[in-house]
Amino acid sequence: MTSYLLRRLVGMIVVIFLVLTIAFILVRLAPGDPAALMLGPDATPEEVVALRARLGLDQPIVAQYLSFLGNVLRGDLGQSLFFNLPVTDVLASRAEPTIFLALFSLIFALVIATPIGIYAAYRHGSAVDQTSISSAMLAASVPSFLTGLIFQRYLATDLGWFPASGYGGPDADFLDRMGYLILPSITLGITNSALILRFTRASMLDILGEDYVRTARAKGMSETRVILRHALKNAGIPIITVVGLTFALLVSGAVVTERVFNLPGLGNLVVNAVLRRDYPVIQGTLIVVATLYVLVNLLTDLLYLTVDKRVKY
Amino acid sequence: MSNKLNLLNLSTAAILAGSPLLAAGTIDVAIIGEPDTFDPMVSTKDVVSIVTQHFVETLYTFDESWSVVPLLAAAMPEIGEDGLTYTIPLREGVTFHDGSSMDSADVVASVERWLDVASRGMAIADRVESVEATGPSEVTVTLTEPYAPLLSLFAFSNSAAAIYPEEIVAPQIETVIGTGPYRLEAHEPDRYTQLVRFEDYTQPEGAAAREQIPDEIRFVPVPDTNTRVEGLLSGQFAFADSLPTEAFDRIEESDAAEPVLLEPFGWPIFAVNHKQGLLTDLDIRKAVQAALPYDDMLFAAFGDDRFFQTEGALYPEGWTWHTEAGTELYNINDQEEAAGYLEEADYDGTPLRILTSRQYEFHYQMAEVAQMALEMAGFTVEMAVVDWATLAQNRDNPELWDIYITHAPFLPEPALISTLFATSREGWDNPKKNEILDRFTSESDPEARLEIFAELQEIAYEDVGFIKVGNFNALQGQARGMTGVAPSPWPTFWNAEIAQ
Repeated sequence: MTSYLLRRLVGMIVVIFLVLTIAFILVRLAPGDPAALMLGPDATPEEVVALRARLGLDQPIVAQYLSFLGNVLRGDLGQSLFFNLPVTDVLASRAEPTIFLALFSLIFALVIATPIGIYAAYRHGSAVDQTSISSAMLAASVPSFLTGLIFQRYLATDLGWFPASGYGGPDADFLDRMGYLILPSITLGITNSALILRFTRASMLDILGEDYVRTARAKGMSETRVILRHALKNAGIPIITVVGLTFALLVSGAVVTERVFNLPGLGNLVVNAVLRRDYPVIQGTLIVVATLYVLVNLLTDLLYLTVDKRVKY
Repeated sequence: MSNKLNLLNLSTAAILAGSPLLAAGTIDVAIIGEPDTFDPMVSTKDVVSIVTQHFVETLYTFDESWSVVPLLAAAMPEIGEDGLTYTIPLREGVTFHDGSSMDSADVVASVERWLDVASRGMAIADRVESVEATGPSEVTVTLTEPYAPLLSLFAFSNSAAAIYPEEIVAPQIETVIGTGPYRLEAHEPDRYTQLVRFEDYTQPEGAAAREQIPDEIRFVPVPDTNTRVEGLLSGQFAFADSLPTEAFDRIEESDAAEPVLLEPFGWPIFAVNHKQGLLTDLDIRKAVQAALPYDDMLFAAFGDDRFFQTEGALYPEGWTWHTEAGTELYNINDQEEAAGYLEEADYDGTPLRILTSRQYEFHYQMAEVAQMALEMAGFTVEMAVVDWATLAQNRDNPELWDIYITHAPFLPEPALISTLFATSREGWDNPKKNEILDRFTSESDPEARLEIFAELQEIAYEDVGFIKVGNFNALQGQARGMTGVAPSPWPTFWNAEIAQ
């Protein structure tokens, strides 16, 4: 177990190192100049050159990379060019909406998808099964920005049930801010519920055909007990895998939803950072997301241990 | 919808959103992006001007007819007979947001910094001999040669000659302190900038009153155009800037909001590379000018003639600067004539490189129509469609483009149009134009300046200094019943009031 954890840890460090190196190279390969953008349309080329020097962008790429690596090792992700604030502060202030958005969407997706998936498998081939499968296909096929726009227009603007966008003003407390996440969470949750529903259904279908399920039924156990105690527990591993992956995807994939609902989260931040060519923020976000991804993966693998005692590392 | 449902909606919304309904005394304004600085000296971005003009002030400002009027100055300056000295009396009893009083030392330090760090200040720094305090409430600016647009520069909120306390003046200012009717209370990047009424504000005389009606003004960056529209229509914002024209009818039909058409807002420009490449040849420039179908380009870009005018004059009808001089060369739309110019220039098929972006969809749409017409005239056209960040970088490298597409609002003073100057990135360095421009900037008589401006417009057409495509309107939106916000590229909210 310890050697497994050690191996995973080394793997994680390698992945993160690769991500930060590729991120560093990619953002600088893209044309576009942060200094020209910051100064506005009527700035002179001389002013742009002077600002580039002040921001350290005139240094050779290798020198910039080495200083970036050294700083990352000390936990310093650099200074945002646009906000003139430490990247870690900028990221920390954007984490709340993204994490809660991912969490709420996941809860929404699980609450909808798991029972329907189980029931669809149980009633395999019935009208309920067919309807749930087609709805899941539809939900997975409609891009979340379209769902978002439709919800925003009809549920927020026309009916006024939800705020149309944003994350609250200066007087918004935690609960108010969470209110702003309901509609985006439903939007994002619907798309992801499709994936979870299909996995739950497929996994349950496999298990329900197993001999031990037949045996359990033959022993006279109630259907609820057969499904929840015997089948669901064994269908757990694929479901946990997809839930883990979905959560990681939600954190990194909320870009479009955050954009549509103007949520000041990590997704919106990274889009703005690309448009502003705020290199340190792009790099910082990628590092954080990559770290989160590998951590969630590790956590998922460790969860297998508790769900299935046969799994050994 | 039933009343019961309405009530349910309202209470749900209030619980969920901490009341997205407009709170009395607070004006929420959706702007197109985050201002990256609160120091309007160092930025020429409109979004910086819109926000900062509420808490930072200049010596002069513009009234509704775009005439210069005093703001922190007590009166218009006394200008020496030679046009070289400007003696500016300052208002007494003006307080900065840190509680200190404004005096001539603050103004001298601020204007000197403006000459050092601001694009528009640096452009005239070599014409300024000195800025001196000639009394506790008097400043004298001495020029090396007459420069008539000086006061317009002092009045403009973009690359602004803002007045700060002497103590904070440094090449980079961390915390901006101004004298404006509102002060900066809080700023959450990408969420909001919160301004609250400055209680010790003293009203200027001469300039329009800043009545400080709202208790608070909040600027919320909303980069997505559709989200701005929905926010406005749902009552979340009292004002939304820069909306897509397709939303006009929906806003007009809404109970919550009404459209505000800024008519006209500005002009799309095909900026011409005079420094190097194909368009350094006058005949080829004339071929481009003759080939372009201006009305088709505007129609493709704006879709509906409520939102554009096919007009060649650099200033629209009704403006002091309006003149028809030279406009017979506008909208020729004759590809055969253009082909004739190309033949005279012995055009060898070298591609004409048009640099544009889809950041502003209308730029790209105009470019597509232009490409067809230019190809009909015999040009080989190479379109480089890039994102705005790349365009902003590449346009500073004259090797990469022949034309780039941009737009500008109608500026209150022609000398603020940077492309007229040989030092601009386009590098239009025609000796005759330079001579006219020199006369224009040094002439102080307004009537004479109008005549010289006509010459300037004429040569802009004859020499194809740049290409004006037409006029376009901008769509903004405001809460139904809101008053006190005049349509402007840089709207102000100190007099904004919403009927309850």
